Amino acid sequence: MALEKQTEMTQSDTDALLGRHETGVLSLARDDDPYAIPISYGYDADDRTFYLRLVSTPESEKREFLSSNPDARLVVYEEDEPTYKSVVVTGTLTEISRDEMTVEHVEQYGEAKRPLFEIWGEAKPDLDIKLYELRADTISGRHIELSERHD
Amino acid sequence: MTASEEFTFVCPSCGESMEVNPAMRDALVENGCVVCGASVTTEAFSPVDTPE
Repeated sequence: MALEKQTEMTQSDTDALLGRHETGVLSLARDDDPYAIPISYGYDADDRTFYLRLVSTPESEKREFLSSNPDARLVVYEEDEPTYKSVVVTGTLTEISRDEMTVEHVEQYGEAKRPLFEIWGEAKPDLDIKLYELRADTISGRHIELSERHD
Repeated sequence: MTASEEFTFVCPSCGESMEVNPAMRDALVENGCVVCGASVTTEAFSPVDTPE
């Protein structure tokens, strides 16, 4: 399988890809330790902001990584052979407190699906669900076309 | 906005509770609970008690 063509995606292309997907992989870092989790999101292309619900428990590793408004990267990709597209977002993850909740937040989180990947044994009232927004500092995307596979 | 226009929202699914105004109530009914994503009806809202 040979690389035929690789191009940078335009902003409208990356917005379109981010808008038609609702899941990705969020990566956080603390000192030298990496942490990556699958997440679901809602995306506001006008503000270039992502809205996420994250579930954690008090002693969890995730809670430790989330506790300091960490720098974050979000990766969303799609493949439809021979076309591959990927978008990488960098930004800072900030918790939205219940006190600052607005109608706009409610609408944005209506677009964000439930935490699909997270299976929890506890009932919902026992879970600590926190709301975050990821404001994008940079969004970059690549579009790759492969030549025909020769096995 | 007066106190009589406020409601207490309690999500029947996750138990989240918050005071909201009519615009927030409408948004929650339309979009679901902002915390857990569960569907919400007007039954999840009750008027905030006003002082006599």
